[in-house]
Amino acid sequence: MVYIIRLMIIASMILMSSCSQGHTEEDSQLALMKATNPNPTVTEKNNGQDKVEEIEKKVSNFNEIYDAAIIKGKEATLVVYKVKHMQRFNMKKIEKDLNKTLEEDYPKENFTVSSDYKIFLEAVRLIERKNNGSYSDKQAEKRLNEILKMTSDMK
Amino acid sequence: MASKQKNMTPQQQKYQQLQQKHELKRPVLKNCIKAFWVGGLICAVGQAISYFYIYFFHFTEQNVGNPTVATMVFLSMLLTGFGVYDRLGQFAGAGSAVPVTGFGNAVISAAIEHRTEGFVLGVGGNMFKLAGSVILFGVFSAFVVALIKTLLGMWGVL
Repeated sequence: MVYIIRLMIIASMILMSSCSQGHTEEDSQLALMKATNPNPTVTEKNNGQDKVEEIEKKVSNFNEIYDAAIIKGKEATLVVYKVKHMQRFNMKKIEKDLNKTLEEDYPKENFTVSSDYKIFLEAVRLIERKNNGSYSDKQAEKRLNEILKMTSDMK
Repeated sequence: MASKQKNMTPQQQKYQQLQQKHELKRPVLKNCIKAFWVGGLICAVGQAISYFYIYFFHFTEQNVGNPTVATMVFLSMLLTGFGVYDRLGQFAGAGSAVPVTGFGNAVISAAIEHRTEGFVLGVGGNMFKLAGSVILFGVFSAFVVALIKTLLGMWGVL
């Protein structure tokens, strides 16, 4: 039993030390564990920033959702969110309701809605890179399309 | 039980009472608590591994289960080979047998046990002695569920 406890201590120490390395992208590092609420982003400047902020407010109004990331591209808008733990039983219903609300309010927009952690993480990473200038508008649009493709592969 | 006691002689009944008095009681609650904590800990490790795959590789929440299960089974196989998982099993009981790691343990412990009988008839023939039923039930129930889902899909229910 002593061996097992020693092994567990060593494993947790390795895990903890690996978590503290590099602080360049802090929000995305902890995006899977805590609420990040990144600012909604558009891939092209001056292309519907107000609308994206409005969408974020609408998404945040859902009681079951506690964290959301919204990215608006040229053709599609990505809405990713995290659901409160006890509400995870109603994931499909929440997605359906959110999709319905968004489509009713913005009939011209093409929404992709997802609650997948991977998509959320990639969205937060994209927003961070866009905000700190390491992605140009074109690169951001390209990356957004890759993320959208990832969501369509899951269906 | 009552008829059994009736057939006993008074001496036997007295002995039975004495035996019941000295019999060690199974620590059911303690075992349950141990199983709960160790099982939960194994699941927490599994969750950490799945987050690792999501974070560093191109796995989504939907398909991250596959590499996570493979990793957990592989780890438990290694630990069984080193003799660590047996000790954990003694301590935690069902807590270490019920999670997917118990499957790896069942495969490798059977393989180790029959190693002396040779690789083909010993290891190969007996490796799935315990885990074979798990695979069979898993595959068969998956087939039945898939069949039901397909039929419901064809009838337009789903």
